[in-house]
Amino acid sequence: MAVEWGECVLPAQPVPPALRAELRRKIGAVPDWASRLGRSSWVAGTLSDFIEDPVAYAPPKLTALVHLVVSQDNSCRYCHGVQRAVMKILGYRDDALDRLLRDFHATDLSPAERVALDFARRVSRGHPRPGRAELEAVAQAGFARAAVAEIVAVVAAGNFANRVATLLALPPESLERMVAHPLFRLVRPFMARRMRPRLRKPEPPPPSNRPWGRAVAALDDSPSAGVLRRTIDGALGSPVLPRRTKALMLAVIARSLGCAYSEGEARALLEPEGFARPDVDEVLRDLGSPRLDAREGRLLPLARETVRYQAATIQRRVREACAAMGPDETLEAVGVAALGNALCRLSVVLDAC
Amino acid sequence: MPWAALVAAVVVLALQVRHARRTRAALVRRLETAARDLETLSQAFSRFAPAEVVDDIIAQGVSTRSEKKDVTVLFADLKGFTPLAERLDPVALVRVLNGHFVRMSRAITEHRGHVAKLIGDGMLALFGALEPNPWQTNDAAHAALAMRAALADYNAALAHEGLPALAMGIGIHRGTVVAGIMGSGELLEYGVLGSNVNLASRVERLTRAHGVDILVTEAARAALDRRFHVRAMRPLAVKGLAEAVATFALEGFEAGVPAVP
Repeated sequence: MAVEWGECVLPAQPVPPALRAELRRKIGAVPDWASRLGRSSWVAGTLSDFIEDPVAYAPPKLTALVHLVVSQDNSCRYCHGVQRAVMKILGYRDDALDRLLRDFHATDLSPAERVALDFARRVSRGHPRPGRAELEAVAQAGFARAAVAEIVAVVAAGNFANRVATLLALPPESLERMVAHPLFRLVRPFMARRMRPRLRKPEPPPPSNRPWGRAVAALDDSPSAGVLRRTIDGALGSPVLPRRTKALMLAVIARSLGCAYSEGEARALLEPEGFARPDVDEVLRDLGSPRLDAREGRLLPLARETVRYQAATIQRRVREACAAMGPDETLEAVGVAALGNALCRLSVVLDAC
Repeated sequence: MPWAALVAAVVVLALQVRHARRTRAALVRRLETAARDLETLSQAFSRFAPAEVVDDIIAQGVSTRSEKKDVTVLFADLKGFTPLAERLDPVALVRVLNGHFVRMSRAITEHRGHVAKLIGDGMLALFGALEPNPWQTNDAAHAALAMRAALADYNAALAHEGLPALAMGIGIHRGTVVAGIMGSGELLEYGVLGSNVNLASRVERLTRAHGVDILVTEAARAALDRRFHVRAMRPLAVKGLAEAVATFALEGFEAGVPAVP
């Protein structure tokens, strides 16, 4: 995938020991992103949690394909490269992956898989927003409701990862070089054994009386519900950027994607911050207000631009908007923008349950 | 003798297998090239029609999708271009006009608009037509200000070559239009129809009467960010409408208000 890609926005730094240990436990290695993203426990924690695909119902083969298709659709050079490398480790050949990416309707996927991938792409694009009819079509293709909800969660996770990687211009992982090495064939079976995706056990649903609780609750006992709950709570609880700045960014992204549910959740967060309905209306109407501070004045237009973008353009915009901010604030701002996009995709699940 | 026949048969078979493999490889290469071309075409086409329309065309060869949409229409036209066209030689004329279109199109696309049509020395641009855009009118107004600045730069370059300066009028209006693929088998395009499209064009004509370069209608002004500086103009009659149309001259944005030519 030829995508213009800039230099990484964040410098590398030592990986926090806890994150290093967690990643080693999960996948037996520390990916390169950890040195760039380790400074934010919730961003790094989310990516670490999603490495293992926290799904209990959606077929593992399908979730891998969803990641590949979504990263291609979002033109994420980093995620696409990683997912392609992972799939090569799992035994896919380059020509098969090329055929799939050209047109998954023309490959040897089952009709149900094609319907699910088509649905995943629609959820990811966000416009037109898939409704109940599209969700019903996936269910009729043979997927249980819980699996359909997990497909939506996987798309949301993909959109989170794609935006974090693209906005920050994460450099390609060394995994990509590894699978291109002549000796890769020898070690592939061992790596595949370690990395083979497995269905996880259902987990008790997280509490639903929290922000975006209804969308998370729609995932019921899927392990992805717990991951998303921790991500939302981690993002909102982080002290790096003020809560109101984050809520304003989430509201702008929701407005841009026409997601009334997410906009409502963001408005609910803003009320205790002293932003009544007319204040939020003004901000959403003009992407500016005398009540905003200078940083918010730069971050809200940026939040809007994270919905649809060209990689090189958005990377340049992130550099401009975050020029006066430190690496911690930049990473949090990018993480919140990524989360806002993910939550709007996740809210599609409300039509399914 | 039977051995020789057998060897000959094996050789012929081997040659046929090799030929078939080569043919297959060539076909795969052609298929991949065609797929890449299609992807490039699909990406390019997405700049001119909504993604779902492009999907329809790829899947079915045609899109019959048409719908009512809330869009912001920007109509730009060169003022006094006809006498200029009579004075300049055709090669210089086309070069000047193309230079103008390149600069104006860039200003429009950089602000999330797309040029729907070139009409002589005029252009019709749409904001919010290809994808939903809650801030479409602000984008159109920013694009208009960028077009103003780009024209000033271009005029400086033209003056350097001893060529006359261009003057432009821009009309901006927001309203509901019918959007879809229109035309005949020979010429199809994604376009918009309706009285709101015509009104943008009529408002552009009013820039001459008011002696300003950018005018927005009341509907557009109502959707504008309050940081835009606008000046109310006297309502004037336009062709096709019984009532006079109220317009506002767009002067600039926030503190950095550029001088109105």
